[in-house]
Amino acid sequence: MLTPPEKILFAIAVLISLYFTYHSFAKMAAVIGRGAGRLNLDDLPRRLGAGLVALVGQGNILRRRPVTSLFHWAVAWGFLLYVIVNLADVLQAYLPGFRFLGNTPLGGPYRFVVDLASVMILLGVVFFLLRRFVAAAPALSFRPNVMLHPAAQQGIRHDSLLVGLFILGHVGFRFLGESFLIAHESGDPWQPLAGAVASLWSGLATTQLLIGWHIFWWLALGLILLFIPYFPYSKHAHLFMGPFNYMSRPPRPSPGALPAIDFEDESLEQFGATVLTDLHRTHLVDAFACIMCNRCQDACPAYLTGKELSPSALEVNKRFFIKQNFTGLADGAADETPLLEFALSESALWACLACGACIDVCPVGNEPMFDILDIRRSQVLMESQFPAELRGAFTGLERNGNPWQVAGDRLAWTEPLDFAVPTVEDNPDYEVLYWVGCAGAFDSDAQRTARAIATLLHAAGVNFAVLGNDESCTGDMARRAGNEYLFFEMAQANIEILTEAKAHQRRIVTGCPHCLHTLGQEYGALGGHFTVLHHTQLISELVGAGRLKLTGGAQEAITFHDPCYLGRHNGEFDAPRELLSAAGLALNEMPRHRQNAFCCGGGGAQVWKEEEPGQAAVSASRYAEAESTGAATLAVGCPFCARMLSDAGQSLPVRDVAELVANRIA
Amino acid sequence: MNIITLVKQAPDTTQLSGSLDGLKLLAEGAPRVLNPWDEYALETALQLVEAHGGSVTALMVGPAAATETLRTALAMGANQAVLVDDPALAAADTLATARTLAAAIGKLAPFDLIIGGRAGIEGNTGATAIQTAALLNLPLVSYVAALKTVDPAARTLTAVRLLDNERQIVETPLPALLTVVKEINEPRFPTFMQLRKAKKATIPTWNLADIGLTAAEVAPQVSWLAELPPAGQARLELIEGSPAQAAAQLVERLSKQQII
Repeated sequence: MLTPPEKILFAIAVLISLYFTYHSFAKMAAVIGRGAGRLNLDDLPRRLGAGLVALVGQGNILRRRPVTSLFHWAVAWGFLLYVIVNLADVLQAYLPGFRFLGNTPLGGPYRFVVDLASVMILLGVVFFLLRRFVAAAPALSFRPNVMLHPAAQQGIRHDSLLVGLFILGHVGFRFLGESFLIAHESGDPWQPLAGAVASLWSGLATTQLLIGWHIFWWLALGLILLFIPYFPYSKHAHLFMGPFNYMSRPPRPSPGALPAIDFEDESLEQFGATVLTDLHRTHLVDAFACIMCNRCQDACPAYLTGKELSPSALEVNKRFFIKQNFTGLADGAADETPLLEFALSESALWACLACGACIDVCPVGNEPMFDILDIRRSQVLMESQFPAELRGAFTGLERNGNPWQVAGDRLAWTEPLDFAVPTVEDNPDYEVLYWVGCAGAFDSDAQRTARAIATLLHAAGVNFAVLGNDESCTGDMARRAGNEYLFFEMAQANIEILTEAKAHQRRIVTGCPHCLHTLGQEYGALGGHFTVLHHTQLISELVGAGRLKLTGGAQEAITFHDPCYLGRHNGEFDAPRELLSAAGLALNEMPRHRQNAFCCGGGGAQVWKEEEPGQAAVSASRYAEAESTGAATLAVGCPFCARMLSDAGQSLPVRDVAELVANRIA
Repeated sequence: MNIITLVKQAPDTTQLSGSLDGLKLLAEGAPRVLNPWDEYALETALQLVEAHGGSVTALMVGPAAATETLRTALAMGANQAVLVDDPALAAADTLATARTLAAAIGKLAPFDLIIGGRAGIEGNTGATAIQTAALLNLPLVSYVAALKTVDPAARTLTAVRLLDNERQIVETPLPALLTVVKEINEPRFPTFMQLRKAKKATIPTWNLADIGLTAAEVAPQVSWLAELPPAGQARLELIEGSPAQAAAQLVERLSKQQII
C-alpha cells in the first residue's frame, strides 16, 4: 500500500505521463498521416485478429535465427504478461488489502508465472545486450558501402542501450520490490526466484523492508511512466507498431502485387515517391515498426552479393530522417529532401531484384520492396533518370511489344513441332489459353520450353490455343523498372485482347512466372480478372487426373530453383516438386529453397540491365548453391531464371520442369 | 538562345527483321517514329537552352498524321512544335523541303541556331539541312559530335566535327545551322508529365500560303523511280572453334582492324 501522499503523487505522475504520451503519439500519427493513400482499417475484427496473431504467435520471428528468436519469444510473452502485472501492482498499491487474484486458486500460479517470466525477460534482455554490445553480432551491422543516415550508427546503439536498460530496470526493480515484499510477508512458496533474493534481506527490519518495497515500486512503475511517452522516438515502438502494421496494411492480391496508378486522373501531379511523404502511409508505419533486426538484409540477394542495397538500412534511414525532422513533419512543414539523398543510393535503388524476400521475412510486416519500386517510378516517370540499358527494353516494349526489340514472328517456336499449335482464331472454343510470353516466343532456350509445354498439353488432349502475334509483353519488366505508364498502356491493350479472346471465361496457362503474376495478380486492379496457372500447376493437375502418364524413369538427382514469382509471390512450391517426383527424379534441395529461395539475379528488371557493382553476381551465387547439392540437373520454372542460371556456369545443365517431364511421357 | 530543330517523321526501323521486308516499312500505314537522328538534334538544343535559357522549336515538314510524331519532340521538352503540311508537298524532294523549311524559319525568326540530324533514316541524303543553310545564307557545320564552347553573348560557337578519318574543331558565328551525329549525346526519355503535356498541346499547322510560298516553288525536281533492297549482301563469316578460342580470335581480328 502506498501512503496517501504517494498515491496523490503517483496519480499526478500518471497524468503528466499521459499528457506527454498524447503529444508524442499524436505527433507520430501526424507524420504517418502525411503519407499517401490511407491505412486500411476496414473489417476491423479480422484485422485485429491478424495483429494479435502476429503479436502472440511470433510466427515470422521464429522462422530465422532460432536462438535469438527463442529469447525474443520469452521477452515478448513476458512483456505481454507485464501489462497485467503493472495494472495489478498499481491496484495493489492503491486498494487496502487487495492482492490480484489473491487467495483464489489462480493467485499462487499467477505469482509463480510472473516470477518465472521476470527472470526470463531479464535473461533475454541480457542476451540481447551481450549480442549487440559485447559479441557485436555482424548481423546487426551494415556494410560500409550501404548509405546510412548520419544519425543512425550511434542512434541505433543509443536506442538499443536505452531500451535494454529500460527493460532491465523496469523488470529488475519490480523483481527486487517483490523480493522485499516476500521478505516482509515472510516467504511465498509460489515465487521461488524472488524468494531466493528475499533471503538476502533477512537481517532487515520490517520498516526497512517496507521502505525497500516502496523504493522499488516507484522505480519500476516510474520507469514505465517515463518510457511510454518516449515510445514514438524509439524502435521499441515495434511492439505495437509491428502488430498495427499487420492490421492496417492495404489488401494485396499477393505479397508483391503493386498498386496501380490511374493515369487518366488529370489531377495527379506526383507519380511514385520522390520524398518521404510521397510514400504510402503504410510505408511510414513501416519506419516506426522497424526494430532494426536486419533479417531482411540477411535475406536480400542484392545485399548478400555486396551491392549497396540493404532493405533494413532503408527503413532505418527513413526512421532517423523522421526522428530528425519530427516536429516539422508532424506540423506539415514542406518535405523537400529526396529519398535518394538519405534513404538509399541510386545504385541501391537499381540493385533491387523485386524478389520479395524482404517482405516475406520481416517480423513486423514491413514492405521495403514497395518503397524501392515506388522510388523507381518517380525516377522514371518524373525525372527520366534510370540505367541507360533499360531504354532499349522500354523502346522494345513500346514499339515491338517485347523487351528484346525483336520484330519476329511470335509463332516461330512452333515450327519444329509435329502437330499444329492453334491460335484463338483457329480454335475459338479452346478451354485453356496458353500465354507463351516474350521469352517463349523469342528466346531460343525458352522456345524449347514452350515446345515442351505445348507437347504436354497436346499429349494430355487439352483443348488449347495461343494468341500468336496478338500477344505482347505483359509489361512486367516495365513495371518492375518503374515505368508504370508503359505498364499501364501494355496492360490495357492486353486486357482488351484477352477479353476479346474470352480468356476471362476460360483458364490461362503460362510458362513464365512473371506473366503469371502480372496477368493473374496485377491486371485485376486495372479491370482484367483472369484465372492464370503456371504450367507446372496445370501439368501437375493433368498428371493427377490421369490424363498424362509419365514413365518415371531412372532416379536421377535433380535440384529445383524456386522462381520468386512462382514461389514467394504466388505461393506455389509444391506443383513443380510433385511433377519432378512423378517423373522419377530425386530432388536434392538447395539450402535456400521454397519460401527462403534465393533469386536467380534476373528479377526486378535486372535481366535488362548490367548488374550493379558488388562483390559477386547474384546468379553465380545461386548457381554455386545448386552445384553444392550434387544434383546432375538444375530444374527451373521460369525462362528468366533459366537464362540467368545457364549463363552463370557450365557444369550443371539448366532445364525447365516442362522439358524434363516432356521427356518422360509414357 | 532561340533554337529551331529540324525534325522529320521516319519509318520505325526497329520493326525491321529477317522475316519482314524492309521496304514494307516505307509503305503507307507502316509504323512511324521521330527520325532517330533528329532526337540527337533535339537533345542538343534542349541542353543548350537548359544552359543558356531561351526556347526550342521543333519544325517539321510532313503529312497531317505526322503531328503525333511531333508530340514526341514536345514530350522530350521542345517549347513549341510547328508542322508545315500542304498537298503540293506530297512528293517534295530535298530542295523543295529545304525551301519550305527556309520559308517557315523566316516566319519563326529571330533565332540563334538551327540544328538538324545528320540525315533522314530512310532517304539518307543528308542534303535537306545543307540546302536549307544555303537558302538562308547561314554558315553550316555538319556532322557535329560535340560542342566545345557556346557563347551566346559573343555570338560564337566551337564544335567538333566527326568525319570518317579525322575530327575537326570548327568555330562559327551565330546564327548558324548545325547537323549532329549520334556521338553528341544520349537523347532523353520523356517523363510522364511531359508526355501528358505533349498529348494536350496544340500544334499549329501551316500551309504553303501561310509561309508565303506557291506550289510552283516547291515542285519536285527529283523523283524516286523505285525502291529496291541493297544489291550486295553483307559478308558473313563464322569463326570456328570453342567459345574461348573463337572469342580470342575475334578480339585479335577486331584489334588488328583497329575496331577496338
